[in-house]
Amino acid sequence: MRWRVVLVDDHGLFLAGVRSQLGESVEVVGEAGTVADAVPLIKQLDPDVVLLDVHLPDGKGDAIINAVAPERPGVKFLALSVSDAAEDVIAVIRAGARGYVTKTIAAEELTAAIGRVAQGDAVFSPRLAGFVLDAFRAGDPLTSSAELDELTPREREVLQLIARGYMYKEIAARLHLSVKTVESHVSSVLRKLQLSTRHELTRWATQHRLV
Amino acid sequence: MPLRSFTTSAEGRALAGVCAGIAQALGVDVTLVRLIFALLALAGGAGIVLYLALWAWSSSDRPFWAILLLLVAGSTLLGALGVSDRGIAGIVLVAAGLALALRQGGSFRRDAPLSYGGIALAGIGTVLLLQSGTAPTRLLAPGAVVGALVLVCGPLLWRLALERDAERSARIRTDERAEVAERVHDSVLQTLALIQRHAGEPRRVATLARRQERELRGWLYAARPLGDDGSSLVAALSAAAADVEELHGVRIELASAGDAPPENAIVLAAREAMTNAAKFAGVEEIDVYADVADDMIAVFVRDRGAGFEPASVPDDRQGIRESIRGRLERAGGSSVVTSSPGAGTEVELRLPR
Repeated sequence: MRWRVVLVDDHGLFLAGVRSQLGESVEVVGEAGTVADAVPLIKQLDPDVVLLDVHLPDGKGDAIINAVAPERPGVKFLALSVSDAAEDVIAVIRAGARGYVTKTIAAEELTAAIGRVAQGDAVFSPRLAGFVLDAFRAGDPLTSSAELDELTPREREVLQLIARGYMYKEIAARLHLSVKTVESHVSSVLRKLQLSTRHELTRWATQHRLV
Repeated sequence: MPLRSFTTSAEGRALAGVCAGIAQALGVDVTLVRLIFALLALAGGAGIVLYLALWAWSSSDRPFWAILLLLVAGSTLLGALGVSDRGIAGIVLVAAGLALALRQGGSFRRDAPLSYGGIALAGIGTVLLLQSGTAPTRLLAPGAVVGALVLVCGPLLWRLALERDAERSARIRTDERAEVAERVHDSVLQTLALIQRHAGEPRRVATLARRQERELRGWLYAARPLGDDGSSLVAALSAAAADVEELHGVRIELASAGDAPPENAIVLAAREAMTNAAKFAGVEEIDVYADVADDMIAVFVRDRGAGFEPASVPDDRQGIRESIRGRLERAGGSSVVTSSPGAGTEVELRLPR
């Protein structure tokens, strides 16, 4: 299976680098450098995955997701960015991106991440995992009683291992789980991240920046 | 002039619509306004003159007549209230002087002959007030002088203040630009020059770019001064990671949850663990994760490299024994090294808070 991918980034050199490094399992079918160009292109090409920079010259990545998602619910988004403010990363995740990785990610890991996102799973960089752990850290029990506002101990364990640099199959081996189970824990965390109304999340994001 | 402007109102008017206009402008009932005018009219006809004055003010473009009528209305009213003729003359002169000064001052011009005329009028009025015997009018005199001074000097001072503010913000902008230029020069431009000189050494170029990126990120996103390693645990770990990257040509990914004031023992132990991984693991990337909870700081340093048999490490290997375990234990913490040949190494450092 070759995944059809659209790259959205305004840095030509970076686009060229990513294109040349992506593995055999990925076919780049289109590229765009602005929100205005990207939205019609993605709608037209209907790719499996869109690799999305958080910052574009005419807007932010979440604007593209918001414009495309209602018409093309099958398109998956993976945010790819240099260091950015946590509030931007959270905005793009909450708009519906299936994950966030930093631009320094190794090429084979990026290829793997694209495959994972294309199949509906979630991808967290160690940084994002650390951020989520911090944002969901046990706070006021009154405001965090809802299921969506609390990580399970298992999800916490999985996220901690991601933050420590473990890959999914290493996590699976260490926790005696299947890779599928690890993936479903991460997807569940992603869902909480997207849907939670936990106030610490927003506060955290505005106070901190992912560096 | 900061007076509430009003226009005569055709709607619900009885005469020229002055009362209705005032009532609309102030948002009060028109009957109340009419009542006040009627009462004032009883005071020697002041209300009637005031009505004419306001009508002239609103309907003509000759405020001169309006002001004149206002003065007449005021003096009539004062006369009705029993103020002496001399007192009335004083008050009228002061009011006229202030009006002139205000008119001129309102234009924000530095040369203001009318202002000086106004001040002179107000001054004469003040003298008259001081000579008139009654106590309440005498109290008005100093107020009139102060008012005239404020009217004349106020706009000038105000404009000077504005100019000074503009100058200061321009200076701040210039300073900021200079600071940015200085930082960019000290860091980015130097690094770019170094990269050009070492273009043939990919490892060195990558390290230089990496270190520069880390510094810029810290400065741009974390509001952290360049080279600052003392403000927090994560900043200190980041600085240690940058050093190790530069010395050994590896890439260190630092993730964190929470932050704390820097703790020397755990930072130095983590640095030692990073150095070990960079030297012995044979990998290009090392992951470091700092987890700061309320009661515990945990730092994990992990590589996917060669690994080793922990039991087989000779006793004289200073690194792990002294720099990591000994250092942490003296600070009340603990360390665990997990490794096996071929499966990489993870050093786990813990320090209670």
